[in-house]
Amino acid sequence: MKTAFTAVQLADPGIAAADGILRTCVHYGFCTAVCPTYVLTRDENEAPRGRIDLIRAMLERGGRPDAKTVGHIDSCLSCNACMTTCAVDVDYLHLADIARSYIEENYRRPLGDRLLRRLVARTVADPARFSRMTLLARLARPFRALLPGRLRTLVDLAPAALPPMPDLTGTHPAEGARRMRVALLQGCVQQALAPEINAATVRLLTRHGIEVVVPAEAGCCGAFTLHMGKADMARAAAARTVDAWHAELERGGLDAVVVNASGCGTVVKDYARLFANDPARSGKAAALAAIARDVTELLAPDDLRLPDTTVPLTVAYHDACSLQHAQKIRNRPRALLRAAGVDVRDVPEGHFCCGSAGAYNMLQPEMAGALGRRKAGHIESTGAAAVAAGNLGCLAQLARFTGLPMLHTVELLDWATGGPLPEALKRVTLPPPAARAKAPVPASAPPESPPPSASAGGTPGAAIW
Amino acid sequence: MSMDAFLNDAASGLGAEHVNTGAETLVRYGENTMPGGDRRPSAVLYPGSTEEVAALVRLANLHKVPLFPTSTGNNMGLGTRSAPAAGMAVLDLGRRMNRILEIDDTLGFAAVEPGVSFQMLADELKRRGGQWMNSTTSGPPQGGMIGNALDKGAGYGPYFDHFGFSCGMEVVLGTGDVIRTGDGSIESDSLVNWHVSKYSFGPILDGLFAQSNYGIVTRLGVWLLPRPPAIRSFHFAFPDDGDLEEIVELCRPMKMSNFVPTLFRVANDLYLIGSEVPSPAYAASGGRESIGDDARKALQREHGLGAWTVSGAFYGPSMEAMEPQIKRVVDHFCASGKAAYIPHEAALEKPALACAVASFSGEPTLTELGLLKWRPGGGNAWFTPGTPMDGKVANEFQELGRAIYEANGLDYQVMNVAGPRFARGLHVISFNREDPDESARADAAYRALAEAFYARGVAVGRAPIDWQDFHMDKLMPSFREACNAIKRALDPNGVIAPGRYGIH
Repeated sequence: MKTAFTAVQLADPGIAAADGILRTCVHYGFCTAVCPTYVLTRDENEAPRGRIDLIRAMLERGGRPDAKTVGHIDSCLSCNACMTTCAVDVDYLHLADIARSYIEENYRRPLGDRLLRRLVARTVADPARFSRMTLLARLARPFRALLPGRLRTLVDLAPAALPPMPDLTGTHPAEGARRMRVALLQGCVQQALAPEINAATVRLLTRHGIEVVVPAEAGCCGAFTLHMGKADMARAAAARTVDAWHAELERGGLDAVVVNASGCGTVVKDYARLFANDPARSGKAAALAAIARDVTELLAPDDLRLPDTTVPLTVAYHDACSLQHAQKIRNRPRALLRAAGVDVRDVPEGHFCCGSAGAYNMLQPEMAGALGRRKAGHIESTGAAAVAAGNLGCLAQLARFTGLPMLHTVELLDWATGGPLPEALKRVTLPPPAARAKAPVPASAPPESPPPSASAGGTPGAAIW
Repeated sequence: MSMDAFLNDAASGLGAEHVNTGAETLVRYGENTMPGGDRRPSAVLYPGSTEEVAALVRLANLHKVPLFPTSTGNNMGLGTRSAPAAGMAVLDLGRRMNRILEIDDTLGFAAVEPGVSFQMLADELKRRGGQWMNSTTSGPPQGGMIGNALDKGAGYGPYFDHFGFSCGMEVVLGTGDVIRTGDGSIESDSLVNWHVSKYSFGPILDGLFAQSNYGIVTRLGVWLLPRPPAIRSFHFAFPDDGDLEEIVELCRPMKMSNFVPTLFRVANDLYLIGSEVPSPAYAASGGRESIGDDARKALQREHGLGAWTVSGAFYGPSMEAMEPQIKRVVDHFCASGKAAYIPHEAALEKPALACAVASFSGEPTLTELGLLKWRPGGGNAWFTPGTPMDGKVANEFQELGRAIYEANGLDYQVMNVAGPRFARGLHVISFNREDPDESARADAAYRALAEAFYARGVAVGRAPIDWQDFHMDKLMPSFREACNAIKRALDPNGVIAPGRYGIH
């Protein structure tokens, strides 16, 4: 794509970066077929290709963006399915970030919109405030019919009750010989909404010889606000976390920074870029980004310390967009779950977003609802007894549209290796334990293929081959 | 012609929300990757059923409006979803007619609408337990199965021939009449043989709708292969361009006896490496020169691939059970000492070869889309002649093709997909479409290639939209007249894709 920025415009690092990205797009349009908003609306401006053109026009024109452009950028999920399928590697993720920051700085939203976005940004990224707002939402629930549309959505999304929030800060020693030392990101909303995920992560890692450090000063990673275009707010939050981790790195050394919410992991792995213009932190941020890992990247299937028996639970594995499209992690979680004895089912249309997408289901409830229902239908079609995913946002979104138990991948792995039965499975009739089968050799299977058809009743292949 | 009146009537029938004349949309539907430029349509319509397609065709006859049906619009390198000429009304069948209508788990077939992609069917088969697999291309996973079959597209496994392994169609003719082919043509509600028997009473009409503009296929039966419990691939890297002669001689007997159940993918260095990285040499000459031999050798070493790399696979009950077949094929290919064997597990570590494994396994894959960024600027055209499986002829053809690419400053990227008697040569012409000179060279190269191959009695398997008239003009006059006469009979007003495949 040709661009027409002036030399003055290109002196702005953000515009220069956008220009470089825009020039790589050649309008093949593979992105359209996998873009959830395009597939549901068939509106060219609701596809990455159309949005890229709108962003180009907005930045070239300068000044105040028009409402139409803002609407189409707002409706983008940033699921990055487009980046997986793009033949020429257009860096849409960062182009969208630049566009959102530009809008945030140059566009004055209607008052209601401004207040709502401010409320969401300040609430979700702060566990204490999130707890208080959850209580408020509970009180407001009887009056929900009186609330304006998106405020009503927030009340609907708020959990009925929050579990106790254990304090995990400090050092959790490895069981047996220590083979790694890692810092764990507790996340913001995850601490309040689903503390069991962090607890399971600590148990799982320490059980496998990994010392886990949770610095008290480390808080929000900045992902949530960054994707709302509030880059300064994101950097301010992330800076505290970077400083805390780096202090830990210097104090006792770190082999990895571990993230168990893939939306956060994507941003932490990109810290070098987030802090590129901050001389005080760019080096630290780059060092931490280089060792950032999703929790499933720390363990190999052969590493799992498994008992002799297993519960052959059938689980639909949902690929969180941030894990499959941004971090390109698809096989490892499946391989770990299968090694643990779980019968893993792939979800049809797996490249599609579930509609969670950070703040998306709060700010764009209609599209988010359509996507959530669509994904839940696909999940239920697998016949699985439960759902696993590597991102809390997805689990919370999907729970609104299906009654199946929702589990983080680490909860299942923790349970399979000796941890407690996950809370979500206590209401499920579990199949009886079975003797553990020898794990399949991963290299013998073609990529992304289903397992040998043990689950396919009456398969014709079994008779033929 | 009254496009406005047609669109008004169409909106009344379909609903205004299914008629799109938005400027942004029309621009995109006219885009393609060819040197000849874009072809902007007048409107895009989204029918939801065979009945609605038939109604639109009747309306098109009434208003004398040309229609251009597309399925998913992923025919990259051959025209994308661009019509042969600007101003047509596009029928986008992919938006609403994307249902898997039937899957028969006993007889092993699926019946699909035009919007069903390779990925969609693969997902559904997996969801149902994974006992079946569909043949997939190594092109876009979102590519449409019907569009690919009708354009004579192919995969790589035993059911590679997507038109040949289809059975039973529903077609809207240019008159607006609807026919079912084969045993589907019976006046009955119980069409038990529609998608399982190709040969019943009467002429076999199905072939009329492959690479033609006689009708709009709205339903197709596709046959499914039982998924084997294990798939074990093998790969051989050969060091020299001239090794193609030996390779073809080695592949032929293995396919003639069907000892190897898949086709052989015989890909050259730049085809495989181009799916992974952009050309490292493009910037130095500004795209005016072909990549040099030294740079090619360096890439081969870096990626652990040969001047040619051969891939195939066995299907069996377990990886171990296929050890004897692997041993035989390794002995066969390595006998002369030129080939380096790349085992299955090692191949999975190389994206270009893992893509081959996925293709043998009925797994849609994005890897080869990387070929589209070998050169910048988005230009891409596919030249698809074939060679008899005679080593000397195949080698002569590769020398011929390579010389024409180099004369035009382009990079020779080709994969021969080899069966027992014939190999289709998928030649990629990658060029910078934003550079007029390079675009002109791409056009010149395509025409020179086609002329050179016609001079040796070789036509193409599929033709990009820029050169379909050119190719039709190479066929004997009586054949051309027969094509046009059929067009007049089935589509007397010429409303369906006039000019598509050179048929007017």
